[in-house]
Amino acid sequence: MSAVLPEAEAPESADLLAVTEDVWMALLGDDGVLLPRAVPPGSPFDATAWSAATTISGGWHGVVTVELDEVLARRLTTRMLALPAEEEASDSDVADAVGELVNMVGGNVKSLMPGPSVLSLPAVAAGRAAFSSDSALACRLDLVWQDAPVRVSVHVPQEGPR
Amino acid sequence: MRAMIIDDSRAMRSILRRIVTDLDFETSEAEHGQAALDQMRAGVVPDVCLVDWNMPVMDGYTFITEVRANPEWRDVTLMMVTTESEQRQIVRALAAGAHEYVIKPFTPDAIVDKLSLLGLVPA
Repeated sequence: MSAVLPEAEAPESADLLAVTEDVWMALLGDDGVLLPRAVPPGSPFDATAWSAATTISGGWHGVVTVELDEVLARRLTTRMLALPAEEEASDSDVADAVGELVNMVGGNVKSLMPGPSVLSLPAVAAGRAAFSSDSALACRLDLVWQDAPVRVSVHVPQEGPR
Repeated sequence: MRAMIIDDSRAMRSILRRIVTDLDFETSEAEHGQAALDQMRAGVVPDVCLVDWNMPVMDGYTFITEVRANPEWRDVTLMMVTTESEQRQIVRALAAGAHEYVIKPFTPDAIVDKLSLLGLVPA
């Protein structure tokens, strides 16, 4: 299990929530709001998931990850692509949409932290996110949107001997 | 009016296409800066480009410098639409020749307002 760092080395939870809500509102705002979700500390994301990550490097180093429930990932994609209700999003479309979601969250997290930094292109996977063993959890949001779970995490390089 | 939407995300291109199509723009799309340059060299020269920053192959900043280096494209308006929100980067893009800068996430009104400021849609 990852260690949890002091907030000074990571975005504040309130700031991460504000960023996430802004992105959510822009992409899915008309359909409801994100709400907090009670999850036992340290528990893995408990849904069949899509996950996407983007790395920030430079004045600050960290990895921003978004994990989504399968149904939610497809609803997000359908909405972003304005697909007709009868048309199902392909896996590549879902990967594209989830990648853009983490790109937006990550880019705005970057603006909260010391710079200058560079944001990587997003990496997307069908399944749970994997984290480097030399990283530490710095900030995490467990949220729910219309009964579908969402997790946003920030990991930073772990200090000390490896 | 013709708009070229340059973004590696198909979903983001779709969102932007709907916004500018509602404003009666004709649209073309490219998934990175090099593909956009290829289209322009082939004669598809838009009135305005909506350009992401972080893209594979050729990023939006490089695309802008390439467009501004070609006098034949001096009338093309360049608008960055990106998550890149560091002040240093915004200044850099504007200095390279971008006319406007929109940070993701955005509302449709934000895009319309910027296009209006640029004189590309009625105020």
